[in-house]
Amino acid sequence: MKMLLRFLQAFGLLLLASMATAEHTSNWAVLVSTSRFWFNYRHLANVLSLYRTVKRLGIPDSQIILMLPDDMACNPRNAFPGTVYSNADRAVDLYGDNIEVDYRGYEVTVENFIRLLTDRLDEDVPRSKRLGSDAGSNVLVYMTGHGGDQFLKFQDAEEIGAWDLADAFGQMWEKKRYHELLFMIDTCQANTMYTHFYSPNIIATGSSELDQSSYSHHADNDVGVAVIDRWTYYVLEFLETQVTSATSKLNLGDLFDSYDESKIHSQPGVRWDLFPGGEQEGRLRTVVDFFGNVQNVEVEDANATDPGSLKEDLAEIARLVEKWQKRDAEYSAILNSSQINKDQHSVHLAARKTVGPTRMVDGGSWSKRLVGVSVIGLCSAVWVAGLYLGRSVKA
Amino acid sequence: MALKSAIRDLRNKPDLLFLRLPNLVSLVCIVVGVVWLLLLPLNEYSRRTYISENALLPGQVHAYFTGSEQNIFRGYKREIEGLLNEGAEPPARREDTTLNPTYVEQQDSRMAYMVDVANMSTEYPKKLRSILQVAGLKVATQKYEYTSAGITHQGENVYGIIHAPRGDATEAIVLVAAWRTADDELNLNGVTLALTLARYFRRWSLWSKDIIFLFTPDSKSGTQAWVDAYHDLHPASVQPLPLKSGALQGAVVIEYPFEHRFHSLHIVYDGVNGQLPNLDLFNTAVAIASGQMGIGANLQEMWDHNDSYEARLQTILRGMAKQGLGYATGAHSSFMPYHIDAITLQPKGQGWEDEMALGRTIESLCRSLNNLLEHLHQSFFFYLLMESQRFVSIGTYLPSAMLIAGNFTIMAIALWMRTGYHLRSAPSEPRTPQKEQNPAPVTEKTEQTARISGPPVVERLLALPLTLVTGLHLLGLVPLWTLNTLSHQFFTSVTYTFVVVDVVLPLVLAALLSNGLGLFSPIVPQQYLLIKSFSLLLLGLCLSTLATLNFSLSFIIGLLCAPLSFIGRLQGLSAPLRYGLAVFGLVLLNLLSPPTILLGACWYFGVSVETVLTQAAFGWDVWGMWTQVVVWCVWWPAWLIGCVLLGSSVF
Repeated sequence: MKMLLRFLQAFGLLLLASMATAEHTSNWAVLVSTSRFWFNYRHLANVLSLYRTVKRLGIPDSQIILMLPDDMACNPRNAFPGTVYSNADRAVDLYGDNIEVDYRGYEVTVENFIRLLTDRLDEDVPRSKRLGSDAGSNVLVYMTGHGGDQFLKFQDAEEIGAWDLADAFGQMWEKKRYHELLFMIDTCQANTMYTHFYSPNIIATGSSELDQSSYSHHADNDVGVAVIDRWTYYVLEFLETQVTSATSKLNLGDLFDSYDESKIHSQPGVRWDLFPGGEQEGRLRTVVDFFGNVQNVEVEDANATDPGSLKEDLAEIARLVEKWQKRDAEYSAILNSSQINKDQHSVHLAARKTVGPTRMVDGGSWSKRLVGVSVIGLCSAVWVAGLYLGRSVKA
Repeated sequence: MALKSAIRDLRNKPDLLFLRLPNLVSLVCIVVGVVWLLLLPLNEYSRRTYISENALLPGQVHAYFTGSEQNIFRGYKREIEGLLNEGAEPPARREDTTLNPTYVEQQDSRMAYMVDVANMSTEYPKKLRSILQVAGLKVATQKYEYTSAGITHQGENVYGIIHAPRGDATEAIVLVAAWRTADDELNLNGVTLALTLARYFRRWSLWSKDIIFLFTPDSKSGTQAWVDAYHDLHPASVQPLPLKSGALQGAVVIEYPFEHRFHSLHIVYDGVNGQLPNLDLFNTAVAIASGQMGIGANLQEMWDHNDSYEARLQTILRGMAKQGLGYATGAHSSFMPYHIDAITLQPKGQGWEDEMALGRTIESLCRSLNNLLEHLHQSFFFYLLMESQRFVSIGTYLPSAMLIAGNFTIMAIALWMRTGYHLRSAPSEPRTPQKEQNPAPVTEKTEQTARISGPPVVERLLALPLTLVTGLHLLGLVPLWTLNTLSHQFFTSVTYTFVVVDVVLPLVLAALLSNGLGLFSPIVPQQYLLIKSFSLLLLGLCLSTLATLNFSLSFIIGLLCAPLSFIGRLQGLSAPLRYGLAVFGLVLLNLLSPPTILLGACWYFGVSVETVLTQAAFGWDVWGMWTQVVVWCVWWPAWLIGCVLLGSSVF
């Protein structure tokens, strides 16, 4: 029994290690602003800036969930209608073109957010409102708004607690909805929001500690409101100036090292302990692992003849084509003859029945049978051994 | 245990409980109430102002009203000055329908202006209309007419609306410029500035609320007529508004009645009946004026406020005086009853700020109001300002007026209790008729009180006291009606008549009372106490209620009535001493009577009684001012009863 346990343990560890080191196959980003009203312009600008960055680094709109509770661009108070800027220089219009807002206005609720993460959505919810991530997806979750100790306010009406968020991520892990997850949050007392996370493979970072405010960076005197928050501003500064392409090798360590408390005016935090290998491993993840769209494709050997290999597939397709051609010829023959003599129908149909199952011509059939027998033998051996060991332990 | 025994002892000493203690407690209440008010200016009891509404974001926008707009301003000003030079009178006409012109000449200049019978010019409304229309506003006019104290106030309001280009027309901000300021000066620059701003604002597309530019002939009646009509609550003599917008969120009144540059902005915020605008509006104005524009902000005519204790106290007291009188301090005051927060901006002093600086301040203020998402509600509506950045809120200052009002209630309750007992040590021994009437309530209570050697219970004779107190309060309607109905030239003589009446009436009433008004059996001392009790009870009730609505009025009336707690029928003294004291007391009380106080205040501030009473009647008729009701139906009856009781010591 002991031996078996040890074996299983070793097997499990091996499995975990293989998963942790395995590269991800898709990237998703969930970008959430939780506050509405004109004077919270900056929260929407934060999110839109980040939206622009992840799009620049290659995540397509179909894999970005953008939640904006208010429409600053069309607010009558906006001196520059149809635009949102995150800098007083107004160099980049964040609302310029190609903006796909997936959840807008009063759709941005705690319930919708949690349903989105855990995919507890009705069948009729469109794909644009779903997080289609899987066990191979790296997910970036960015949130901003007005928060407090272990809560984040949504829409002036409700709030999400740190436990709610932790459970949502826990459920995502159970449902194999992420491979690795980077959680970023810019609110007052932001770091309290990730204290309760418990599911693995999460790196979390926030803008300010308990009892600390998160400050706005600067205001635009023509728009008349603050346009961006400090922490987001400096994260973006790093992303925009350092991570210039989707092939950037800068890692999260570099990003987090770029935090400057004298500039941010609050103490940002990072949580590594949920990540396998902790800080050491986590630091090595590249920034584009989360902000970019690195799709890893498994490339196969073109000459392989294993079951399911390209060669075998081609041979099978050739056979299918041959078979259908043959059948087609027979069918046209039947049609022609039926016009002459209807009595011959049965003969032709009987002849058709002679086409039996094709035999596999490949020489590897015996080896396959051998493999099957050995697998069954192994299973039964394990069963017998378990039966015996279990009895002996009982005795 | 000590406390328990102390209370037991107290119960056994009714003379202490009913005679000395209430006097002491009442006196302490009054003293503490006054001291409380005097403590408010200290740092420990007041707070610095702060912007409570997040949406306001004062001073965060750059104001662009400058440069070329100044040329527009000059152009408009020249056009209006052209009208003035042609000899057209500014469009405010107040016509006296009862006076011959010779009498008018004797009045002071303000009165002379008020009865100005110059032909009213239709040029001004026409000119304003054309300027606003060219600037792209929707324009409408409204004629109104009010008659008060025999004076007719006529005028024509002109207003234009900028519809928010991208907003829904559900909310609006009002900018007001009156041709005559609150101090009755010609507001030429103010009107011109409003016109320039109208043209300037029209070109912005960032308004979320409509902006209404209102031009009224004067600061007293024009806005009232307009805002009444805006809410469809106007009298028949006021025309309805042909053009309206959404719910009014705030109003700013622009005054600039001189030609030189100014030094600081005087922010006037008092409304009718002591109502105040939300403190956030005042704070925003101060923050923008002093923070963003670098223009100092004054309040309550405190031009050199050095932030000392005296200056703070003086500011509070000035604010309280205005609040207590409850009159409209400017064109903004008429908005307050409709829960529309409003202030007046008055440039003051010699300095280097020009009309453009005032324009930028107003632009920034409008941008802040434009940011509002809902009606101003976050900050305080009840406050006393002692400096532009320091205030006390109602929770801190209310106990002051409440203690003073409470002193009357305490005294009234004590008197009520006292009338239920025979006091052995009381100066008046119960007389025979009372004894005849009181054997009814002989119950266990009397036995109990007898056991603890306390006084026996007495039945109270309520009919006469109740009738008298009610009757005298209703009598207050007579001066109220008189002073709000008569023509203004009679006001001075009526006031003097009331002074005489106030001397004679208490004595007559006291004489009549001594034989029970001829209707009741001869009055007994208990009834004097009951009269005083009811009177004070009513006074305490009214004042404590009033304190929550108009703290200052309640406080002032409370202080003026404070002697009434301690004045009653004099007894147990030798006749000459009693007469002497009564007469002396009556003289003192007459000095505190409402008409005497009015005359004294008018003499002290150098205004004519007629002006004040005309203003009061105007307030009653047009503004819906309630101060007179408090004076004549609360203060005067209580004062009269005090005099009657004192006067009865002679008979």
